[in-house]
Amino acid sequence: MELGRLEYLQALVTEFQVTDSTEAKEQVLANLANFAYDPSNYEYLRQLQVLDLFLDMLTEDNESLVEFAMGGLCNLCLDKTNKEYILEANGVEPIINCLSSSNEETVVSAVTTLMFLTTPRSRAQTTALPVVECMLRFSLSANRRLSNLASIFLQDYCTPPQVEEARNLSKHTAVGIPLPKD
Amino acid sequence: AAGSSGGPGAPCRHHVQLEACESRAKYREGWRPRAVKVYTINLESRYLLIQGVPALGVMKELVEQFALYGAIEEYHALDEYPAEQFTEVYLIKFKKLQCARVAKKKMDERSFFGSLLHVCYAPEFETVQETREKLQDRRKYIAKATNQRDCFVLKKVEGPKNTASKNTEQDCPWSTLGSHVASNWDPPCFTSSPGASHNIAYPSGNQNESLLTSPHYDNNCAESSGYFDQNTFLTPSVHPGGHTPTASLMQQRMVPAYNGIDRFMPRTTHLQERKRKREEGNKFSLIGTSEDNTEVVIGPQLPEIPKVDMDDESLNTSATLIRNKLKEVADSVSTSVEKPESSSAKPLVKQRRRI
Repeated sequence: MELGRLEYLQALVTEFQVTDSTEAKEQVLANLANFAYDPSNYEYLRQLQVLDLFLDMLTEDNESLVEFAMGGLCNLCLDKTNKEYILEANGVEPIINCLSSSNEETVVSAVTTLMFLTTPRSRAQTTALPVVECMLRFSLSANRRLSNLASIFLQDYCTPPQVEEARNLSKHTAVGIPLPKD
Repeated sequence: AAGSSGGPGAPCRHHVQLEACESRAKYREGWRPRAVKVYTINLESRYLLIQGVPALGVMKELVEQFALYGAIEEYHALDEYPAEQFTEVYLIKFKKLQCARVAKKKMDERSFFGSLLHVCYAPEFETVQETREKLQDRRKYIAKATNQRDCFVLKKVEGPKNTASKNTEQDCPWSTLGSHVASNWDPPCFTSSPGASHNIAYPSGNQNESLLTSPHYDNNCAESSGYFDQNTFLTPSVHPGGHTPTASLMQQRMVPAYNGIDRFMPRTTHLQERKRKREEGNKFSLIGTSEDNTEVVIGPQLPEIPKVDMDDESLNTSATLIRNKLKEVADSVSTSVEKPESSSAKPLVKQRRRI
């Protein structure tokens, strides 16, 4: 069956909404998240409200759904329109919450997405103290991917005073965002 | 400790080959069975991990095979990586992420000396700077890809105005720290590779490429790689000075597997390709070859002195026609058995008259 791009994406979204099968939901979400890598799809994805779908999935119990949705957001959030949409929809908060996931891919996608979403207006949120403190701990991780990304976050998106403040904070409190497990 | 033991050289979760998904609905089933996986810029890398290489001392052949997809910066065996019996694990670092992508796509699950290769990305080998550059390239790519559409619409309006506003929004975090990204930001309107051509459902995680895209993907390789680094684009891909001794071997063997890496081909091979295409497509022979079949010729063929004079005009004409036909047939046969190495060794160009 030959389908146009929009129709195909629509079919995916419909299947996602209609199906009872968790497996099918995961497959479809992963498929959409991969489509989100290519800018030529962004107009369609916005039309089909896939950005909202991704944001909604961030609070699901199913770890795979969160992972795929976070990956999808990471893939498409650099586009200016998508970025504004996500920020307007208060997307930063659930993404920050993903930093405490035990799923490595979810965390890594969240770190990158926060970087990509940082603008003059949003940076108060994306580089808030608990986030910077979290990144400090990530930067010391044995997980190279995570430590690299966290280092870039600290070096390129935070000011030295911000980093210093977070460093002082972690000396005095035990509370923080836990590192992802294996 | 965070995540898996993700240091370089140790097995990582993202190296594991997932099982192909069996339960996809028909309309979204691709040609090849694929696992359910999402590819983000964090997972992709210039570094590829290759498992399942038979332990037969075939490193050279392995690297040559991968070099078909682009310039390779580094490669070595990973002796400490757990490997199945009688197999080895290798790391190959491409100069360009785009090439690593294609190489992975083409070489994963390929048979190599009787063994099935498993190819995956190995981003844990990246340095902080390499990761940073990877993210920056992705940023640039999106900026250009999405700006391009605006370009077509807003050609009447000044581009710079929109650029400036984008700059302040997207690039402000950079401007406090340095202007290196902002300065790269001038969005040229790419006329060579229209954004519409990026209709690829890619990366290859679980894409139904067959439905929508595959024919375009290969052709776009060159164009989209231009997004990543416009300067490197123009230089030859292999710099003997900076490479291991087998670099020259790679240079000779860089026969293009497909159009996409045209611009990365060493110059001699490129000329060879053009010549081959010309010969194949040209029935009317304004451009021809000389007898030894190694020349690049430009311009119409000059009239030759007839070799045999039959003392009769019509007989001479027939003889000439027959001779030409024989030459044409001989040319096409010898072209197909021509070896790249021998041709590149001979001097090219005894040029014909140019128009």
